[in-house]
Amino acid sequence: MTVFHFFNCAILTFGPHAVYYSATPLSEYDTLGTSIKAAVVYLVTAIVKLVCLATFLKVSESDSFDPYQELLKALIGFIDVAGLYFALTQLTHRNISQNHKFQAVGLGWAFADSVLHRLAPLWVGARGLEFTWEYILQGLEANANLVLSISLAALGSLMWLRKNKPKTLIPIIYTCAGIVATMPSITSYLRRGLGWQFPKVVGFELFTSLVMAFVSWQLFAACQRPSS
Amino acid sequence: MGSSSSERKSAAILEPTMYTASMMAVVVLILLAACADLCDGVTVVDVYRLVQYDLSGVPFGSRFASLNHHAASSLFSPGTAAASGGDSAAAADLSRTVLILPLRGLNLTLIREYIGQRKILGGLLFLLPSIFNPENVDNTGGTDDVPAEGVSKDILVELERLLIHANVPFPVYFAFEHDDINAVLADVERTDVAGQPATATTGGYKFVVAAREPRKIGSPTLTNIQGWLPGLKADGDSNQLPTIAIVASYDTFGAAPALSVGSDSNGSGVVALLEIARLFSILYSNPGTRGRYNLLFGLTSGGPYNYNGTYKWLHSFDQRLRESIDYAICLNSIGSSGDKLWVHVSKPPENEYIKKIFEGISSVAEELGLNVGLKHKKINISNPRVAWEHEQFSRLRVTAATLSELSLAPELLESTGGLSDNRHVVNEASVVRSVKLVAESLARHIYNHEGKNINVFADDSNLAVNPSYIRSWLDLLSRTPRVAPFLSKSDPLIVALKKELTDHTVEVNVQHEVLDGLFTFYDSTSGKLHIYQVASVTFDLLLLLVLGSYLIILFSFLVITTRGLDDLISIFRRPPSRKVKTA
Repeated sequence: MTVFHFFNCAILTFGPHAVYYSATPLSEYDTLGTSIKAAVVYLVTAIVKLVCLATFLKVSESDSFDPYQELLKALIGFIDVAGLYFALTQLTHRNISQNHKFQAVGLGWAFADSVLHRLAPLWVGARGLEFTWEYILQGLEANANLVLSISLAALGSLMWLRKNKPKTLIPIIYTCAGIVATMPSITSYLRRGLGWQFPKVVGFELFTSLVMAFVSWQLFAACQRPSS
Repeated sequence: MGSSSSERKSAAILEPTMYTASMMAVVVLILLAACADLCDGVTVVDVYRLVQYDLSGVPFGSRFASLNHHAASSLFSPGTAAASGGDSAAAADLSRTVLILPLRGLNLTLIREYIGQRKILGGLLFLLPSIFNPENVDNTGGTDDVPAEGVSKDILVELERLLIHANVPFPVYFAFEHDDINAVLADVERTDVAGQPATATTGGYKFVVAAREPRKIGSPTLTNIQGWLPGLKADGDSNQLPTIAIVASYDTFGAAPALSVGSDSNGSGVVALLEIARLFSILYSNPGTRGRYNLLFGLTSGGPYNYNGTYKWLHSFDQRLRESIDYAICLNSIGSSGDKLWVHVSKPPENEYIKKIFEGISSVAEELGLNVGLKHKKINISNPRVAWEHEQFSRLRVTAATLSELSLAPELLESTGGLSDNRHVVNEASVVRSVKLVAESLARHIYNHEGKNINVFADDSNLAVNPSYIRSWLDLLSRTPRVAPFLSKSDPLIVALKKELTDHTVEVNVQHEVLDGLFTFYDSTSGKLHIYQVASVTFDLLLLLVLGSYLIILFSFLVITTRGLDDLISIFRRPPSRKVKTA
């Protein structure tokens, strides 16, 4: 039953996005347009990143960890942050509170990421007769990515949209944002440089995403207190 | 004004959206190539199918080619008394299972019963030791591992005989032992011992061979190649010179047509013929040493099918040519080590001419240290079975004999180059000795040196038998399956044989005939087996359950944290309250 398996992995990869949208007040305020705009911005960002990667990166024969290449990839990864900045600040959104804006943007961002990176391998691979754990792990990775995207969007909105922040919290906000932004580089270092197996890497991603989500939630709540 | 500006704004927003939408397709494709990491954890194995043929309309061999079933490794489910063979109540239902059976430790009686009772299996896969693989020519004619190989060889010969003469209503394939498939077999055996045969609900391995329905091969061709070396005609002599024919059939038949390389039957005969042609072409190139006999070399096809090709070849002869044939020597299986060879004749041994020929051969044999015996088998014109090639000559009243290491006449489709007949059973030295025997006795007859102690093809002369020539042709033939219906008219082997005879003889003719309608063959002789490791349906259902509960928990968690517990309860309370309202 291989279409069955594809269906299972698909609901694991894309289900949480739909659940998040319908469970939180996002659905009540009809923020779908924001999410779609964020998804489009993600696409454009992906094109720009790809062009930069093609231009600046050397194709290495071996699969080993090259610090300079990884540094370059991390720098190009900051284009992601720029894209998120654009999505949060420059796009015209309907009148929705900041609270919901970052959630919608993060959701759209994560959904586009999942679709681009995971849909095609899933369609081609999970429908085959051969069974592997690969696609279930990929789905878990998509879940972790969703949480990370929303945390990054939260921190981003704190950095760029909120004007009055407690002075002490500002450096914490920036470091957390930095950590979340460099997560892709960290995971690729773990996989290539330290040689971790895929399940271990996915476990690490899930753990850190939950931790960062908690931290950014606390920061967000802390920044909200002075104004309310 | 406000509406037009908003229209312009929306148009301005729409344009980049449409642009990116068209770019999206490109992006998706490029990103997929960059991000996708498709893994293929599938094992692919070359497999060779059992032959499928009809003999006078009666079907034989495996009648199906495509395979798509789970794998198991034993005929009985464990825990039952395996001693009670054939007890259908104890045997598991295997109609949707492929049995993978290694040759080592194969229980032939069980298989014989299973096939004899025409029970339905999903399929059979026999694993042969890699020594039987024609592509595995590491040691040529090696004697190490002989005892074990001898036992396997006997079992293989028995199995082949059983399968060729049975009508098997499911696909049967042969494969060679290899690390991948050995690991799969070990896994399958382990799960079988644990008591869980693989089915759709318990997972395991799935064997898939994608093959279309086997089709009949219409008008299979037999190609006979002949080479003619004319003798020296004396001036003023208008009579036809006598001819001596040297014949060998080059095609094979076995349980797996893609593996029938027939090194001994009859690769050894073909190689001997080529070497004899080479030696006599050296002799005949110089008019001073050209004999007063024409030499006719014939490589015939259709050997396993009552020497049908030889029959057609002889019937295509000019009457004068046929009458001029003094005698014909047919070569059949002269490559295995051993000092005993047989000359098979159909004319009674008391016949003067037969006596003369046999004495000529045995005197040379004595010098070479070989022991040659004479065997007489009467031919029965009404019996269509032709066991030896010389019988086709005898039926046209041409004196002929077959030189062979086989002492008994083979049955139909026996000793025709099966699975166990590969490079390892042929001994170069035996072929060299046989070549010397035939060439020397021919030369003594041609040049009238009978009884004299003259060695025409002495070692260290320019007429010495060339072992490397023999070795290279044996190697080539041992890599080339040669079942006649699957050889096209322009097959590379036929072209190579024709070219070789052209090098050695003056005139070469190729004759294409159609195999008699008695035999019908079907194609699809090999394929690729894909082995998939599949998960059971229960696993998928379990996963669905887990994921469903995960999503529900996630939903409840998010509702509680963002909207409050009351909202969650109200979601579940709404339908009943509505019903209360309407009622």
